Amino acid sequence: MTEELFAVFIASTIRLATPLLLAAIGELLSEKAGVLNMSIEGMMLTGAFAAATGAALSGSPMIGLVCGMVAVIPLSLLQAFLTNTLRANQIVTGLGINILVLGGTTLGYRELFGARSREVIPGFDKWDPPLLGDIPVVGETIFEQVWLVYLTLPVALLAWYVLTRTGLGVAIKAAGAAPRTVQNSGLSVTLIRYGVTLVTGLLAALGGIFLSIGDIHTFTEGMTNGAGYLAIAAVIFGNWRLGQTIIACLVFGAATALQFQLPALGINAPNALLIMMPYLLAFIAVSGLVGRQSAPKTLAQPYWPR
Amino acid sequence: MTVGIAPEAAAPAGMTGGRAPEGDMSVGARFAMQGVGKRFGSFDALADVSIAFHGGEVHCLLGENGAGKSTLCNMIFGVHRPSAGSMQLEGAAYAPDGPRDALEQGIAMVHQHFSLVNELTVVDNLLLGRTLGRVDRTAYAARMAELSELYGLALEPYRTVGDLSIGERQRVEIVKCLMLEPTLLILDEPTAVLLPDEIKALMETCSRVAAQGTAVVLVTHKLAEIKQVAHRVSVLRAGRIVTTSDNAADDIDRLVGAMIGRDALAEGEAIPGLSAAPRQSAKSRAAAQATGDLALMVDGVSFADATGAKRLDNVTLTVRPGEIVGIAGVEGNGQSELGAILAGLARPSAGRWFAGNSELTQASPKQITAAGVGIVPEDRHLVAAADDMTLAETILNNRMRLHARFGLIDRRSVTREAEGLIDRFDIRTAGSDVRFGSLSGGNQQKAVLARELTMPGLRFLLAAQPTRGLDVGAVAAVYGLIRDACTQGAGVLLISSELDEILAVADRVLVIYRGGIVNERPADPAHKEAIGAMMAGQKP
Repeated sequence: MTEELFAVFIASTIRLATPLLLAAIGELLSEKAGVLNMSIEGMMLTGAFAAATGAALSGSPMIGLVCGMVAVIPLSLLQAFLTNTLRANQIVTGLGINILVLGGTTLGYRELFGARSREVIPGFDKWDPPLLGDIPVVGETIFEQVWLVYLTLPVALLAWYVLTRTGLGVAIKAAGAAPRTVQNSGLSVTLIRYGVTLVTGLLAALGGIFLSIGDIHTFTEGMTNGAGYLAIAAVIFGNWRLGQTIIACLVFGAATALQFQLPALGINAPNALLIMMPYLLAFIAVSGLVGRQSAPKTLAQPYWPR
Repeated sequence: MTVGIAPEAAAPAGMTGGRAPEGDMSVGARFAMQGVGKRFGSFDALADVSIAFHGGEVHCLLGENGAGKSTLCNMIFGVHRPSAGSMQLEGAAYAPDGPRDALEQGIAMVHQHFSLVNELTVVDNLLLGRTLGRVDRTAYAARMAELSELYGLALEPYRTVGDLSIGERQRVEIVKCLMLEPTLLILDEPTAVLLPDEIKALMETCSRVAAQGTAVVLVTHKLAEIKQVAHRVSVLRAGRIVTTSDNAADDIDRLVGAMIGRDALAEGEAIPGLSAAPRQSAKSRAAAQATGDLALMVDGVSFADATGAKRLDNVTLTVRPGEIVGIAGVEGNGQSELGAILAGLARPSAGRWFAGNSELTQASPKQITAAGVGIVPEDRHLVAAADDMTLAETILNNRMRLHARFGLIDRRSVTREAEGLIDRFDIRTAGSDVRFGSLSGGNQQKAVLARELTMPGLRFLLAAQPTRGLDVGAVAAVYGLIRDACTQGAGVLLISSELDEILAVADRVLVIYRGGIVNERPADPAHKEAIGAMMAGQKP
């Protein structure tokens, strides 16, 4: 039975890493351009809540998804406006937005769902990919996932392609390393930073949407529960490289999955310790214990065009 | 391809439309401006500037810092918009709404501070801003090789810019501009950090670019360059064009006079305004020998940086009281590390150093100051002072406790001493309570010198790149002050990347290369070539 347990472990690792991956890839793009997008937590929560609401009211998870994506746009623009146009401190505004969203979604949830809080919200069904799903044991457990899980693959590939093979990628990296140079080359740093903040918002919202109507088909107050911060930690843990950031997300996913797996294996580790794991790993990463950190040079610094 | 350095060879008559008659110089010009002014708040950075640049010509813009050269360039490049007047490109009205617009119209600019992304490769730097879609790096590398060949700018396409030398970075910067096939190329003080040989190569490149029919604008305050390449020189002073010359080589004295607002200069001055006074008073020399103490002794000092790379290798040198010793070298050969060690900001990994008879190898900056060591660090803003502090606080921050009573600072006493020093050191400011950062570079440096030179018991002064970014007038003032310190018996170690200045000011010159002192020469212009060669790594 161990293989089966292992397959379940892999499956839940992937499932738990999915929202982190979507958010972290977005965050990486932001940070490459010099934007420390703290509000990613609030963006995920916005996506989760708007998707749940949309799906519950319309009965269609697809409409929920669209609601989640649309709802995050004004939030991203607010974040971009505050930090790029008004040049407010990125960390303070990010935290402010997170608190605002936590309050807003909690209030909205109680008003809208109050009495029906245990109701299941229509969500996406799991999907058996052809061929892969037919593999015995592994097929059903690992590959039967909501399609949003599979979406992370093209998203990651697209991010890789943009960053390494396009002029836009060069411009994004330059905006974080030497924004003045970007301006001198005739591009707008402000526009680039607005753009990446918007994309980060959409990807983070997708992660949140997966949490509510993809994974558990319901919404709970503050359900992202620090996933956004973990995504930021994953970017740091991954030393601002795409491949390593993805690995970091999978490691964090695995650490969370272990919480549910170890008791099943008969290992009695204190649950609190396991819940701590991803944060502990993130802490180690942030403290620079995993090699030289190469953060973009102007990360979190507002840019003043000439 | 035939390339000429001489103006005649590089300016085919058809290309420039011939020399335009006096009074209407904009006829046939590549670029012209009439009556252009630029106002920042209530300050006129430029006033009533009329100038024309012709294809095939190198046009030098000469002027002190703050004369408006950069403002002028930035206006042409679309960074600033003129507050008055008009500009024409190829005879048509020209009003760029940003650098991008200027680039698209064929105007490119090599910026004073490199405008490169150190984290990216050479090729990625070249393609930044050219396209947002898929990039073909091979094509860029090939085009780059072509330009490198044509203009003599050797470069490797896939190296990271951060790993390149200053000279190489500048070549990247120039190739980046040339890729756009500009009709007007502006170089804003391109030679400030280059080796003598690199400067020569750059001048050659300028001539070649002009020979291809491009109008080249070279902003500088180095006179030797002007003689070498300029077809035409315009001098800016306080935002106005004060004079123009078609024959720089013969007019150099007049141009310099116009630049610094002085009518005539003493003959044979290597640095204008810096008189060739006797270098050392016999009295102080005698005093030094009597006491027998050295102002500074560095004994076998080595230093390895955080990555383990050896930046200083067994450096031994001495400075006697009343003597100025110059350290000549291209930046990045260990001068900064030596400066950091003498300031107490870094500890040598081997060796010892002394000021007078106190060993300071492991001393803190505070102990070093107490031992009578004055430091003028190379980075004014990062190390020497805080931009947001007031001028008075900056001048007195090594002795603030003398103005304190029971831990409280006596403002009036601070202001009194500060104002005395402001007068004595001729710091031009609205008052002692202005922000340090709001002063001009020259006045900032004078403030730092006022602090370091008036500290009690000064016996040794380290002056690292003390004239960087200063205009000619301020350079003379700074060296005057340093010399005064010498006459009063302090020893001075002068670290500078300006060989001409070292030769003019120092008594002897040590050449530093790759962390080691490779040779010593008397500070005599006759040794200039030999020193330049050793700076570039040639064996003595």
